[in-house]
Amino acid sequence: MLKVLKNLVDDIGACMMFLRDMIRTGIRTPCTWEAVCVQIWKVTVQSLPTTMMAGFFVGAIMTVQFTMQIKAFGALGYLGGLATSATVREVGPLLIAFLLSGKVGAFTSAELGTMRVTEQIDAIRCLGANPLQEIILPRFLGIVISSFILLAAGLLMSIFGGLILGAFFAGINPEEYIRHIPTIVSKFSIYSGLFKCLVFAMILASVCTYKGYTATGGAKGVGRAVVSTAVMTMVGIVVSDWLTSLLSETTLVLFRGDLF
Amino acid sequence: MISFQNVRKSFGEREILKGISFDVPEGEILFILGTSGTGKSVLLKNIVGLLKPTSGAIVVDGQDVANMSEEQMFPVRRKCGMVFQHPALFDSLSIFENVAFGLRKHQPELDEEQVRERVARCLNLVQLKGVENKLPQEISYGMQKRASLARTVAVNPRILLFDEPTTGLDPVTTNAINQLIFELSRKLKTTSLVVSHDMHCALAIADRIIVLDKGHIVDQGTPDALKKSSHPLVRDFLKEALSAEGS
Ligand SMILES: Nc1ncnc2c1ncn2[C@@H]1O[C@H](COP(=O)(O)OP(=O)(O)O)[C@@H](O)[C@H]1O
Ligand SMILES: [Mg+2]
Repeated sequence: MLKVLKNLVDDIGACMMFLRDMIRTGIRTPCTWEAVCVQIWKVTVQSLPTTMMAGFFVGAIMTVQFTMQIKAFGALGYLGGLATSATVREVGPLLIAFLLSGKVGAFTSAELGTMRVTEQIDAIRCLGANPLQEIILPRFLGIVISSFILLAAGLLMSIFGGLILGAFFAGINPEEYIRHIPTIVSKFSIYSGLFKCLVFAMILASVCTYKGYTATGGAKGVGRAVVSTAVMTMVGIVVSDWLTSLLSETTLVLFRGDLF
Repeated sequence: MISFQNVRKSFGEREILKGISFDVPEGEILFILGTSGTGKSVLLKNIVGLLKPTSGAIVVDGQDVANMSEEQMFPVRRKCGMVFQHPALFDSLSIFENVAFGLRKHQPELDEEQVRERVARCLNLVQLKGVENKLPQEISYGMQKRASLARTVAVNPRILLFDEPTTGLDPVTTNAINQLIFELSRKLKTTSLVVSHDMHCALAIADRIIVLDKGHIVDQGTPDALKKSSHPLVRDFLKEALSAEGS
């Protein structure tokens, strides 16, 4: 038990140090924008269909769930606002993070792990280049930036999904659905959602690049890297979700006096 | 040229190299033989700073590389070309771009025309033609090994480090690669360190042979001297090689 805990702390520490080295490299010798754009494109295209579909159904689920509750208060018109607010603040970023960790996280750690165990990373160093700058940094930035693009796409789809389901099942006027979105979705919800998205994406991007980069021991080692990426990102995302929620609530209380 | 002085290397509790000392004079072809897992790759990687020794000194061209930072290693890596055990070609780049990679990094002063010319010459040297635009996974393993060799010699290194250049290859390609190592070393006058477990080709092309076992050097000498060795591991290696010769 103590040993597991020690390994976990070691792992997190090494990951932090990896992140620090990467940031330092990025400041001294930034990578090219082309390389980052290639990664953004790759991640976005890989995950866009899944994200959009998931977004649509999140909107649909929200509508179905909230309709029953809200009907009793005769406030059906606010459905769009409520559903979108929940998606922006919590469900959207979390969903994007989980989708990305399943797809892009696994892919990236397997890709980097393979490069490590087939000595491609050593070869890069021997040929006079810095692998942190050439291959890690573009992937890291690519994952972080495209998670925002995907968040936006997923959000639009969830509004669309909620709107369609609302119109068909609860008979809500689409115009009314949309009109009330700005009433309920405050600026603060958006900031808090974006902040969450940033934190999750950073966790995912650093864990999968770190695990892939430090893989050892042939094909088995790559498998181990992928598995521990999945475990570590899932745990990291859930824990940081709680932390960021706590943080947004505290900020809200501090700066507004009270909630409403 | 290269000098190991009581080099030790541990991973955690496990000590892999247990005090290795040897010298490689300029222009020599030195073979390092040993069974799998004795730390031959680890030894080579210490020379170019991919791994750092736990203690001891490694002197390359008069400079101790054991405590150098990544930036300080840069000129040393330009001098030392390493051919890895895996072909280690970048699988998203074409063969041409793979061979040009080191040139663009180490010699940014070259223009595109000169790069193209140099790449063509290196691919010619390893007898690879017409594969410039292929991806590494589209050519055979033996061709990948040779392309990797071309990538390494493209930057004109004065020291060549080979990590099992012929393991996993058919006898014909093995012979071709050994011949290539020999010719390259003599033609380009490079100092060559070849890690291998092929005593047969070591006897054929080495100036000197070192036999490594469990982190220690157990025997060393010229091929002729080594043939008379009485160490059991060396005898095992010799038996293999000489029976191959006889058949
Ligand atoms: N980065 C590393 N971390 C931990 N152990 C390693 C590492 N690299 C090599 N080893 C261990 O060192 C030993 C020697 O490896 P290696 O030099 O690859 O052997 P070989 O002589 O076959 O080339 C192996 O047992 C391997 O497990
Ligand atoms: Mg090896």
